[in-house]
Amino acid sequence: MASEDDIVQIVNGFLLNAPPGEFMEVVTDVRGLLKNDALLNETAPATFREYNTEQMIKVASPTGKHQVLITKYGELGNGEYLDPYGKQVLTFDHIKGEVTNHRALGSGDITQEVEPYRKAFEAEAFKYQNEHYENGATTVYGSKNSDGAFVVTTCISSSIFNPQNYWNGRWRSVWTATFSGSGECELTGNIRINVHYYEDGNVQLNTNFNKAKKVPGGDPAKLSAAVFKTILTLESEFHTSLEKSYRKMGDTTFKALRRALPVTRAKIDWNKISSYKLAADMK
Amino acid sequence: MQDIECALDLMRRLPPSQIEDNLAGVIDIVPDLTEELLSSVDQPLKIVHDSESKRDYLICDYNRDGDSFRSPWSNKFDPPLHDGQTPSGELRDLEIKLNEAFDIYRDLYYEGGVSSVYCWNLEGNNFAACILIKKTQDHSKQGQPMKGTWDSVHVLEVEIPKKGTARYKLTSTVMLTIDTNEPGTTGSVSLAGSLNRQEEKSAPIDQPNSHVVNIGSLVEAMEIKLRQTLETIYFGKTKDISNELRQAVPVSVLKQRHDMTKQLTSQLKT
Repeated sequence: MASEDDIVQIVNGFLLNAPPGEFMEVVTDVRGLLKNDALLNETAPATFREYNTEQMIKVASPTGKHQVLITKYGELGNGEYLDPYGKQVLTFDHIKGEVTNHRALGSGDITQEVEPYRKAFEAEAFKYQNEHYENGATTVYGSKNSDGAFVVTTCISSSIFNPQNYWNGRWRSVWTATFSGSGECELTGNIRINVHYYEDGNVQLNTNFNKAKKVPGGDPAKLSAAVFKTILTLESEFHTSLEKSYRKMGDTTFKALRRALPVTRAKIDWNKISSYKLAADMK
Repeated sequence: MQDIECALDLMRRLPPSQIEDNLAGVIDIVPDLTEELLSSVDQPLKIVHDSESKRDYLICDYNRDGDSFRSPWSNKFDPPLHDGQTPSGELRDLEIKLNEAFDIYRDLYYEGGVSSVYCWNLEGNNFAACILIKKTQDHSKQGQPMKGTWDSVHVLEVEIPKKGTARYKLTSTVMLTIDTNEPGTTGSVSLAGSLNRQEEKSAPIDQPNSHVVNIGSLVEAMEIKLRQTLETIYFGKTKDISNELRQAVPVSVLKQRHDMTKQLTSQLKT
């Protein structure tokens, strides 16, 4: 028999694996199965927070017209999340799923030294996101790592929820640029796509891609332009490769699993099924 | 919502690539639902070997009795049971014929893989059958890191309301997984899941091989339909959704093209 701790682990595992846009449906299902809601309530805040920040959900800014991503990179603690573009800090209630408060940026909230680069990257990021992620939003963060190098992280999250037609999907890209002054920049990226189709079934696409590339350094304008030119190239290459993979999977592996029709190019004449066997035996 | 409805809804949302772990987890939460879940949630089929008949067969809930499974070739249980549930004499004859027929069907469409058919008696002359097929493909040996698995589970209820006619009710599930892993270009890509469908037909049973003909053609038609739908959803729909999430062609270019097309179309009309 599974212990209470085991069950809590299983349940949280299910929640974290909820497809995009279906987190609350999974919560409802899990609540329905658990006889004791209290089991869930203790760990719920942490699990809800983990899910939302991993998925990089987007919220509307309470003060402007822009969208803000809720991510681990912008987490300040106490439910507070950085919105560098809006020059504010949002308080996000993960259980309610809404922004409950906001305040202006304090001096300790961001790393001023990195700001010129972060702003330049952010401008490029908006341009890039507008051209390639119609349903997406982007948030760009600046910080310094333990070696004193500058780190600018660009998060892009694009999602479409279409439950009336039984499908949902999300694309997440995270690009991290690490550099010192105008020295060479180390760019690393991660792209994840999750699509769920569930009309009369359950079909899911899951992809996970990592890439690293060195970009020549420079001032904020020069570096941000070079980085986003590289991001465009790498993401386009990935996107094209994905299309190629789809063709190969459909043309090669799928056909090798089951033919559309037998070699005879006709459906089976079941009245004569035993005669097929005789032909095979004669080979 | 009833417990079983919550469980089934959950199974429709959790990642299909982890279906066995998901089902085990749900059973841990609601052990009372174990039997019902095992019989209503399709899982990838397991292949086991019948050393007496020297053939492989597929195991599922329908050829299980306790912890033993029955081979369709030898009709014996493994581990052995002296009073395990087997189909009645006449039904076993039909089961043998169906296994032979679907062995040929499997060879023609799958060119490999394993198939098994199990029948069991229902009330009166009615009976049920399940037709199972499993095929795996691994291209990694040929240098292409692509793998795939196809599992067919067809469950059939056959009612014989009056002499000479049978009504066949078919519930089918096909589970399909295709994975690839190319770190340099796409990283890991996994398409996994299942689709289900139901079909019914009535047909005469006036010939000795009528059941084989009726069941064979019903299952074949169902698999053709499911294969087409799988192809459309897996390689069409999910790809289209990915392309909606990110526009490969810049939005401004797409808008330009759209405006140009509109202009041309309105010019053609005048």
